[in-house]
Amino acid sequence: MKFSVEKALSSGGRLGLITQASKCGNITLETPMCTLFTKGGSAPHLHMDMLKRVALVPDVAAMSLGSLADHHESVAEFGKGLGEFAAMKNKLVFTTLHDASLALATGKNDNSGVAVWGKGGKIKLDTALFMKVQEAFQPDWFQAMSDGDTDRECGQKRLHKSVDRTLDFLDEIVEKMQNSQILSKSSLIGVIEGGFSEVERVRSAKETALRPVQGFLIEGFEKGNSGKDLFSHDTFSNILTTTIKCLPEDKPRMMETVWSPLQVIKAFRLGIDVFSSAYPHTLAEQGLALVADYSLPPSSQAARLELGCTNPCTEDQTLYTDLNIKFFLCFTMPNFARGCILCFTMPNFPKGHNFHQYFDFFHHLRKAVLEDKLDELEQSLEQQNGNK
Amino acid sequence: NHALSMTILAECSTSKARASVVRLPHALVDTPVFMPVGTQGTLKGLVPDQLRELDCRIMLGNTYHLGHRPGPDLLEKAGRQLFSYCFSFQDSGGFQMVSLLELAEITEEGVKFRSPHDGSEMLLTPEKSIEIQNSIGADIIMQLDDVVHSSVSGPRLEEAMYRTIRWLDRCIKAHQRPKDQCLFPIVQGGLDAELRTKCAHELIKRDVGGYAIGGLSGGEEKAEFWRMVKISTDLLPKEKPRYLMGVGFAVDLVVCVALGCDMFDCVFPTRTARFGCALVKTGQLNLKSKTFAKDFRPIDSECHCSTCQTYTRAYLHTLANTEPAACNIITVHNVAYQLELMRSMHQSILQDKFPNFVQQFFLTLFPQKGYPNWAVEALASVNIHLL
Ligand SMILES: [Zn+2]
Ligand SMILES: [Zn+2]
Repeated sequence: MKFSVEKALSSGGRLGLITQASKCGNITLETPMCTLFTKGGSAPHLHMDMLKRVALVPDVAAMSLGSLADHHESVAEFGKGLGEFAAMKNKLVFTTLHDASLALATGKNDNSGVAVWGKGGKIKLDTALFMKVQEAFQPDWFQAMSDGDTDRECGQKRLHKSVDRTLDFLDEIVEKMQNSQILSKSSLIGVIEGGFSEVERVRSAKETALRPVQGFLIEGFEKGNSGKDLFSHDTFSNILTTTIKCLPEDKPRMMETVWSPLQVIKAFRLGIDVFSSAYPHTLAEQGLALVADYSLPPSSQAARLELGCTNPCTEDQTLYTDLNIKFFLCFTMPNFARGCILCFTMPNFPKGHNFHQYFDFFHHLRKAVLEDKLDELEQSLEQQNGNK
Repeated sequence: NHALSMTILAECSTSKARASVVRLPHALVDTPVFMPVGTQGTLKGLVPDQLRELDCRIMLGNTYHLGHRPGPDLLEKAGRQLFSYCFSFQDSGGFQMVSLLELAEITEEGVKFRSPHDGSEMLLTPEKSIEIQNSIGADIIMQLDDVVHSSVSGPRLEEAMYRTIRWLDRCIKAHQRPKDQCLFPIVQGGLDAELRTKCAHELIKRDVGGYAIGGLSGGEEKAEFWRMVKISTDLLPKEKPRYLMGVGFAVDLVVCVALGCDMFDCVFPTRTARFGCALVKTGQLNLKSKTFAKDFRPIDSECHCSTCQTYTRAYLHTLANTEPAACNIITVHNVAYQLELMRSMHQSILQDKFPNFVQQFFLTLFPQKGYPNWAVEALASVNIHLL
């Protein structure tokens, strides 16, 4: 992959283009962007047939190794890579280590490798097995092995270890890649660790930037999804800014954090280009639908709607009518809008709906930056949040 | 004068099977038909478009949560133009109502239970059940019946049967929308041939558009099950649809179509999908099993459903073992399988090749010819003899 900056903000954020994004080299992606969050290689609860009805689905599907690594022999025998195996032939595959929506089972990494978790239990990956899995999966992008099992509570010693280990893993992977024909076209994503230690973050960023990686994944601020807002830690923004300053401009920066649109805006301002779409999934899991209006000026309000056990369609006629108009544009197919209203009463429907909202947000985010309206978008979302 | 009219297109010259088209306010339905069971207006995880692509035209709407019932608006939004709904307070044969609702107490007035929402006591009378169903607006609505488990016999069973008839009269009287909604009475009587006969005789005196056969598929012996079905279909008038409640295993469907049933519902195809089971002509595939880890074929290479067009068994194997997405994906296929089975029966009856269809169906499912005894007997009773 190649990355170029189209437009830069003084805060560090930028609009960019990822060219030659796929193994075949022919895909161009615009940033800021999010990847498609998957579980076991599928959008959670969504039949491919249903996903096709959602508009603006990202071109890159993030597939975590936890639930998939176990099946690498089947995928190897299949021979056409994980994307086609998981019926995502038209998507770029980005293999990550962990399910972004979940907390990490902590304390299982050591110098020999890292643990990933699926329903079947723990899988311990050393770099040899890791490479074997990646060769079976043939990803377009893949996250290097990393020890991201750190958070705010971790002391210098632990953070130092995590940075060292992650660099060691990276060196082994880089070496093994030289002998791998299959992975020669795949983009290796280096991982930045260091918890809340500025010193370790800087060291991790500078050292990783020296290696032949095509992009950077920044993790280790929390042990998987902690459910806490990273921006509520007063030092987080500064540390992230300092870290990003040590990274070259011509490579994309990624974070898998579960972030609301407002948090995405903050992280984007600091220079993050590629995000996860685990947020709409976790929201749906809590029975919440994403209903903000991202157009400027917004034509309606209310940022989140509780689905809970009451039935908004029958019990609140005004809300119902409101939603009716609002969600007319929710999915590309006009007659699907009807189904979309069902988002609010059907167990699995919020999944498709929330995804769509989130993808739509990235579309508007990019547009707002192009039109110098990022502040307006942020204010509008803050207001919608406050109105709730 | 009913919201439902049935035209028999062909009758099997050997058995009691028939192929019909049933006209309902919102759909034309070919029978024999299988109605997938949905909650709150649609099948879990499937959107109306998906159901339309499967050519599913009638569903069973099901709810015990009266506070949660789908309103007519919701049915409209659920793509109501595309489907008919049959609405019932019950599930598979009708026992759920009793078992699910805590403290259900049945008196002549109605069914008393505790609300699952606020714990308050509620009384569902025949009148109230019709009022609710009138407001929901399904094309076919069901009478409130006094259901007892199929293991019950004696005075309680007799009481339930007579009460069901009395409740039917109250339901008919309370029904406000006979032009829009067709009310089905339910033949009860457990496993008692005499009671079932009496019940059916009483029901056919009433002016209704179709009949349901209830109180079966509650785990009774299959030998008794089919006999009760046959007694009921022998007595019910030919020109009106017969709906056998809670039946959905492929073998049961084929046998009961031969016995003259037209409509069926069952949670089985959707429920079994949750456990990674896909339905195929040779039986079931348990996709969680390791045998599918490297099987890169679709569930059924002859199936036209979007699942078989998209996914391999090997991938569904990984998914079935780890992710809930599998349930949704397998459900699509299982519903397609059930609908296709019914369509093939409809077609074979039109061509008067139904006995042949039944023979081939059983041979495919039991290549060693280890046919279940009850099925052999049931089919023989309508002159179909397996190969
Ligand atoms: Zn929606
Ligand atoms: Zn299929």
